[in-house]
Amino acid sequence: MITQEKYRSKVKKLLADGSVKMVIGYSPGSTADRRRPLFIRSFEEADQLVLDSNCIANLSGYLVTEGLLSDEKRVAIFLRPEGIRSLNILAAESQLNVDQIIIFGFDSIGREVNSLPGEHADEFSEFIGSIKENPPEKSREPLLYQLEQMNPQERFAFWKEEFSRCIKCYACRQSCPMCYCRRCVVDSNQPQWVNTSSHTLGNFEWNIVRAFHLAGRCVGCGNCDRSCPVNIPLRLINAKMSEEVLGSFNHFAGMSTTQEPVLASFKKEDSETFIL
Amino acid sequence: MTRILFSDKLDNCVTRWQSAGFTVIGPVTKDAFSSYTAVEHASDFDLGIVLPDRSLKELFFPQTEPMLRYTLKQQSINTEDFTPPSGKKLIFGVRPCDAAGLSIDDPLFGWDYKDEYWFQRRNNSVIVTIACTKADDFCLCTSLKLAPDSTTGSDILLRPLENNNGWHAEELTDRGREALLAIEEFLQEGSEPTAPMAVVPEMFDLDTCVAWLQNPENFESKFWKDISMRCIGCGSCTYLCPTCHCFDIQDEGDTYSGIRRKNWDSCSFALFTMHTSGHNPRSTQSARWRQRIMHKFNYFPGKFSVNSCSGCGRCSRQCPVDMGITETLQKISTLHS
Repeated sequence: MITQEKYRSKVKKLLADGSVKMVIGYSPGSTADRRRPLFIRSFEEADQLVLDSNCIANLSGYLVTEGLLSDEKRVAIFLRPEGIRSLNILAAESQLNVDQIIIFGFDSIGREVNSLPGEHADEFSEFIGSIKENPPEKSREPLLYQLEQMNPQERFAFWKEEFSRCIKCYACRQSCPMCYCRRCVVDSNQPQWVNTSSHTLGNFEWNIVRAFHLAGRCVGCGNCDRSCPVNIPLRLINAKMSEEVLGSFNHFAGMSTTQEPVLASFKKEDSETFIL
Repeated sequence: MTRILFSDKLDNCVTRWQSAGFTVIGPVTKDAFSSYTAVEHASDFDLGIVLPDRSLKELFFPQTEPMLRYTLKQQSINTEDFTPPSGKKLIFGVRPCDAAGLSIDDPLFGWDYKDEYWFQRRNNSVIVTIACTKADDFCLCTSLKLAPDSTTGSDILLRPLENNNGWHAEELTDRGREALLAIEEFLQEGSEPTAPMAVVPEMFDLDTCVAWLQNPENFESKFWKDISMRCIGCGSCTYLCPTCHCFDIQDEGDTYSGIRRKNWDSCSFALFTMHTSGHNPRSTQSARWRQRIMHKFNYFPGKFSVNSCSGCGRCSRQCPVDMGITETLQKISTLHS
């Protein structure tokens, strides 16, 4: 594959001239269509790099690994458009210095992989703006239409059934680049704000708390949904929240490294229909 | 001549077991997701899958379970124990790795304190295992010295017939004998050939791995950091594992009344070993992953003479970042101890 070979030599060049200390990408996984996160620090590791349409996971969460960027050295990372958006949010929320990150942007249509031009986060703003203006129609989940047709009781029953499988393994949180808190509110036990039990109430509490924390921040990368070991369709909650935030505040998460967080900022023209 | 249970009689058996007071449970797939679930009819079973997504342990050790209720009135404190449910269960279509998982955990739950919740359920259950005729890329029972037709932890072992229309029934315990006695009229004597067992290639040499793990010099090996770099620290491997058994005890309620519960906990979480002082003896994810491997293949067998892994492969199968016991032990087996 040409793209993959091109990237392997590019990665080696960056490592050799000291421009980066590490490149975060993908390597082959345990089955033909699985890909693993790969941390490249040597030529040998660079040769394991793969880039194809199976490289799905959003790797940007690894950038906030404790200590990774504290030496001020640069790291390069392979990111899809959603990954670039989540990187922008991490920068906007002061979780990293975006000048330390070199982006290898890519996207895929079917089996074909395309490189996205640019390497600094700011160079992708126009491209992300175009996604906001022309969202790909296929991206709307058919189940969302069905959920909208339901009345509140039916919707509640739907989610009660889905959440009944939750085991609170927190794979959704751990795989989410937006869940970077060193200590999550559910892990606080003095006081214990949220029950740790994985019963109906506890599972609702957890999933609703997470949904609210992602409102206006979720980029729809799907990491949570794919990570969930009990197949809860978490993408639906976050997609709906994103649509609401877009409709109410014209806010598309991750547009730039300076975008203000929607729920932590105020504009005079914000709709205030919820205030009596 | 052996006793044969033909598939078309299975529903009669389910009904018979139900009228004998058993809740009949087995692999059920719903919305492309499978677990051991109570059924009404044999047609509810999904016996075609390699193994259910969720393991068998949760029927004996649920993810959350009430232990006691407390109330405080003026100077008096009242506590009232929850007793474990006493109903009889017959679990049909268990996979040998899941059945083995139960027997691996028996000594743990019966070690210094006999866990009544676990043992009451164990004593009230009949495990009817079906030997595996198919496996997937993640199955690793043979690497753990088990097999697609292991009998460990089972009360009855069923071996699928070559024609896929029934099973040879082999009773392994008194409980198994009683369960077969209850359905005796639906069993037939026969000599139909059984299907070949699934081929599960050996992924690593366990003894080599254990020797490496037991060498104290390897505790601080760079290997741990390298292998676990991509671990995101979720608990899904531990929670889907048929033998992981760690739990936390939590009081839910307020000063005056509430419920004490036993909840699953995971060594993958930073909070698991966090001290009140803020010090964490396992402060990195690599230390946590090392603990999981060491516990399963070094500490647990050191205490109970059995590995705490039955080779179901769920950890690798569903890991969000494609890690797991298989990859780790495969790599260890190539290291020089």
